[in-house]
Amino acid sequence: MSETNLTDYGNATRCSVSPDFTAKVFAGCGIDRYVRADSALGAVCVAWGAGGVSAVRLAADELAFETWYADRFGRRVVPAIEDDPISSAARASLRGDDVTVPIDLRDCSPFEQRVLHKAAEISRGNARPYAWVARELGAQDASRAVGNALGRNPVPLLIPCHRVIRADSSVGGYVFGADAKRELLEREGLDFGALENVARRGFRFIANDDGTFCLPTCGDVATRVDLPGYHGLRSAGEAHAHGLVPCVTCRPIAA
Amino acid sequence: MAVACAVAPADSDELLAGALARDLDAAFERLVIVYRARIVTFVARMLRDDARAEDVAQDVFVRAYHALRTYPPERRGALRLRSWLYAIAHNLTRNVFRDAPPPSDSFDYDDGTPRVAVLDPRPGPETLVLREEAWASVGDAIAELSPALRPAFVLRYVDDLSYDEIAHTLDQPVGTVKASAHRGLLAVRAHLEKNDV
Repeated sequence: MSETNLTDYGNATRCSVSPDFTAKVFAGCGIDRYVRADSALGAVCVAWGAGGVSAVRLAADELAFETWYADRFGRRVVPAIEDDPISSAARASLRGDDVTVPIDLRDCSPFEQRVLHKAAEISRGNARPYAWVARELGAQDASRAVGNALGRNPVPLLIPCHRVIRADSSVGGYVFGADAKRELLEREGLDFGALENVARRGFRFIANDDGTFCLPTCGDVATRVDLPGYHGLRSAGEAHAHGLVPCVTCRPIAA
Repeated sequence: MAVACAVAPADSDELLAGALARDLDAAFERLVIVYRARIVTFVARMLRDDARAEDVAQDVFVRAYHALRTYPPERRGALRLRSWLYAIAHNLTRNVFRDAPPPSDSFDYDDGTPRVAVLDPRPGPETLVLREEAWASVGDAIAELSPALRPAFVLRYVDDLSYDEIAHTLDQPVGTVKASAHRGLLAVRAHLEKNDV
C-alpha cells in the first residue's frame, strides 16, 4: 500500500458534483446559457436553464440571438462552456433521436402552453390542421389564436409546431419560413403530391379498409386513396353513411 | 458522476479574475467549473453533511455572483479568487452551524488561545504521512475537530492553501491560523494513533 500525504487524501476524496449543479447556480444568478447544435435546418442556438430548454433559434447571428433572448425573456443568455443533461437531451432530439427533453414554457400564456403541448403530441410523418388543434382544446373558433400561439413557439423543432398546417394541406406560416416548414414535413415523410391530389378532388377524409376513416394527413393514408378498400370522403356525413368509425389516432371529427 | 478538476494554480486565478472583470456573465461559468468540486467538498467537510453540501455550495456561487455584480471591474480583476470563494463558503457554513450546532464531541482542548504562536510555514515534519487504508479514519478525525480548528486544518492540509490565503479566507491573523492548523494536525494525528491507524 502506497504512502500519501493529506493533500493526496484531499484530492482523492474530493466530492463528485451533480450534473445539474451549474444549471442550478445559474438559475440562482438569473442567467440562462446557450450552445450551438445541429438540426434538420442546420446550426441552431439552444438556450436553457434549470427548468428546461427555453429557446431554439437559427444560429446565423449569435449576438442577434442574445439580444432577441433578452428582449423576449427579460434575462441574459450567455454562451455555455459545458453541456449538461438538458442541453445534451436537446442535442439528441435535434439530431432526430427519440428522447424526452425538458422544456421551459414559463414565458408562454396558459393557452399558448396548451396549444404547444397539443402540437407536441403530433408524431413524425403526421400533420394536423390548425382547426383540429383548436377543436382538440375545446376552442373550435380559435384557429387563428392557435396559429398565433404556434408562431410564438419558443422551441421550434423540439416542439414540432411545423406539423400544424392548413386544412387544405397548404403549409401556412412558420418561424423559419414556409419553405423550411414544407421541407421538414417532406423529410419526415409527408407526401404533399398525394395531399394536393386529395384536396383537389374535394376529399376531406380517407376511408380505410378496416372500417375507419382518417384525416388525409394521418401518416401516409393520402397515398393509398386509390388502392382497393380505400376511398376519399367529402364529408363526415358520407363517412357515417358508410358506417365508418373515426380513427382513434387522428380523431378526424369532434367526439 | 465524478468531475475531475485540476487544482487551480494561482496564475489561472489571475486570468480568471481578468475575464470576470471584462465580462462577468460570460466568464462566471468558468469560475463554477474550476471551483465547484473543491467548494462542495470543503462545505461537506465543514458541515459533516454530504447531502446538504451541494445546496450550500450552490448558494456560495450565487452569492459570489451577486457580490461580483456589485464590484467595479478593477476590483473583480484584483480579487484573490480562491481565498475569496473559500471565505464565502466558510461564512455560509458558519451560518449553518449557528442554525444547527454540530455534536460537541470534539477531543481537542479549545480555550480560545493559540498554544503555538508561530510555526514554520514550510511543509516538512509537520505533514502527515498516511497509508491509503487510513483515509476513512482521516475523515472521522476531521469530523471530530472542533469548529474552531477544522477550517484552518482543512484549508491548509487537505485543500493546500497557503497560510496567507487561509488568513484571508478566515479573516484571522496569520499566526492564529498557523496555530489552529497545527493544533488540528496534532489532534488528527492523536486520533489516528488512538485508533492504531
